[in-house]
Amino acid sequence: MDKQLIVRGVTRMEFKRFITYLIPWFILLGIGLYAMYLVFRYGLNHTNMDNRFAFGLWIYFDLAIIALGAGAFFTGLLLYVFKRHEFKSVINSAVVIGFICYSGAIAALVVDVGQPLRAWFTLYRPNAHSMLAEVTFCLTLYLFVLAVEYVPIVLKNRKLKQIPSFLVFEFKLHTFMPILAGIGALLSFFHQGSLGGMFGVLNGQPFAFRETVFVFPSTFFLFVLSAIAAGPSFVLLTTWIVSKISGKRVVTKNVFMSLGKISGILLIVYVLFKSIDSLIWLNKTSPAVGFSAADHYGFAPFGIWILSVEIIVLGLIPGLILISKKLRAKTPWLLTGAVLACAGVALNRFVTTIQTLSLPTLPFADFLTYVPTWEEVAIFLMVIAYGVIVYSFSFRYLPLFPQERELNRR
Amino acid sequence: MFPWVHEFRWEIGHLIFTGGFALVLVAILTAITLVFKKVYQIYKRRQVEKILWQATFEDFPSQTRTCRHAISGVLKQRVCNNHFECGACAVHKQLIEHGIPEKVLAAAGDYGNMEIFGLNIPLDRMYHRGHTWVKQDDEGNYLVGLDDFGKRLIGKPEEVVLPEIGSRLYANGTAWKVKRGKADTRILSPVDGEVLETGDDEKGWYLKIKPAADNSDTSHLLKSGKEVKAWFMKELERLQFALASDGIGVSLADGGVLIDDLPKSHPDADWDGVYGEMFLEP
Repeated sequence: MDKQLIVRGVTRMEFKRFITYLIPWFILLGIGLYAMYLVFRYGLNHTNMDNRFAFGLWIYFDLAIIALGAGAFFTGLLLYVFKRHEFKSVINSAVVIGFICYSGAIAALVVDVGQPLRAWFTLYRPNAHSMLAEVTFCLTLYLFVLAVEYVPIVLKNRKLKQIPSFLVFEFKLHTFMPILAGIGALLSFFHQGSLGGMFGVLNGQPFAFRETVFVFPSTFFLFVLSAIAAGPSFVLLTTWIVSKISGKRVVTKNVFMSLGKISGILLIVYVLFKSIDSLIWLNKTSPAVGFSAADHYGFAPFGIWILSVEIIVLGLIPGLILISKKLRAKTPWLLTGAVLACAGVALNRFVTTIQTLSLPTLPFADFLTYVPTWEEVAIFLMVIAYGVIVYSFSFRYLPLFPQERELNRR
Repeated sequence: MFPWVHEFRWEIGHLIFTGGFALVLVAILTAITLVFKKVYQIYKRRQVEKILWQATFEDFPSQTRTCRHAISGVLKQRVCNNHFECGACAVHKQLIEHGIPEKVLAAAGDYGNMEIFGLNIPLDRMYHRGHTWVKQDDEGNYLVGLDDFGKRLIGKPEEVVLPEIGSRLYANGTAWKVKRGKADTRILSPVDGEVLETGDDEKGWYLKIKPAADNSDTSHLLKSGKEVKAWFMKELERLQFALASDGIGVSLADGGVLIDDLPKSHPDADWDGVYGEMFLEP
């Protein structure tokens, strides 16, 4: 039965081996579900967050995977709107990754809100003055769009496509992909932006507060830029990892290089704007409310090094590596660039959430520290395990890489 | 944020926010509704087989989709984006209008009855790219059979499921199904029509079809000797690739003759994958 579900003409590992490989991930998933039960049953006191440190590991993780998941909408935009047909070979995988990232982020948010049964209040009675209202609406709608985009991939399963109505539905749904890709891009633009903007409007947090560009704080645009810069790198990395684990070529080298190039160009643009933003913030915005650079970077371990690493080591350097045709043609350099780009966006989200809340903003306040509880870590790992399991099943039974069969001939 | 919720105010900001999201939601739901409507129309107009073929065609690798005119050498290189429906292809129409295929093919000469690497290829019939042939009988009906290449690929099938007499077949839709070992496949119908009679391997044909009154187009079928020869050569090349896929591979000897029952002589090959590739069912 298992073989009848696998895409025709491609080979996958033996079913027993596949299940054995998944066992550790299912164990992690189980532990996470137990931790989830504890939080739901006994409340958020099972976390180390409090009224002052209200954003912890989960929100950091949400912001990071939502940024990395941007590869889904951006690849869709490049393929369906800008007609970059070389990305047809990775779009299915990018959609699955996007779906995993967004559904995982929403799962973590459901735990984070503390009273999940009232989560729908954020849609029905949103706080019109909070940028989180926009984030909630955009995330919900975009997850819906991703689910709709995932459906045609599922319906291409070998057994399912033998049901004529499924294949007809898949084919017709596919004709609407450019519209869905456009809507996805619009929603992603706003929720990525609003996640950044949410910190940029924090008047009481001089470390996060930024100048306004049009009606949005600068972090609105920086979050969008960094997400679309890191997204293609994340698609590149996951595709490479899948290729290594499965021992198969799944896309051609030029697809890797195109993803790297786009990532590199956007990263350089991001670094430019991030540098300008940081200079304005350190020399104008922050001093205007009585905070100098030393006030922000005088608390170990968050020294000025963290800003340098974010902009230079994880921004400028990968940007330069990826825009260099000579360097990105060499796989180790290409991967180095992609890893650094993804690490850069992850560090930026860490700084934005954790460092912002750690720093004192009043003369009598202390530098806050926060270490997540095992329940928080378990739920974080649960989302990763969920992603690995969903992706593994998708890779095994769905045509994620249409070129795979052709590329693996002797 | 909704008009019936007490925080809502009839202000421009609230209206833009609510209106914007409502618009997006309406666009998504409209798209999904339109898909269902189109699916309903396809069933109502009995276009299911046509759409299934188009959906399947999208999954073919570019090598499989090579245009017939590129195979025969009329064009240097071209990948078909028209589901092999030459009657609706602007390039095909243009070439035919200018008589280009005839000129190129005539210059290369015709071949009469052919034999290519042991394959018997009579030229009194037309060939479909899914390895069936069509021959019109004296009464104007079509006889449909499996070509020699297809026969040797399947060898002696364990099961052949033929359509019921009186059933309607559609060009590029399923004609009959074959099972050999662990692999099964469907054979594509080369023409539209109604099944009048079923045959078997002994008779040399599998179906007798009465051409459909509303569609007797055969422009998608390969006719001339040069074109048919070039296509069979290309198919042998594709078979080489298909057998070599995923490193399970079997290599066909250069200059040899294709044996009668390939699965019997190479039982370990991935025949399921090969059938998918050669009978256009990825």
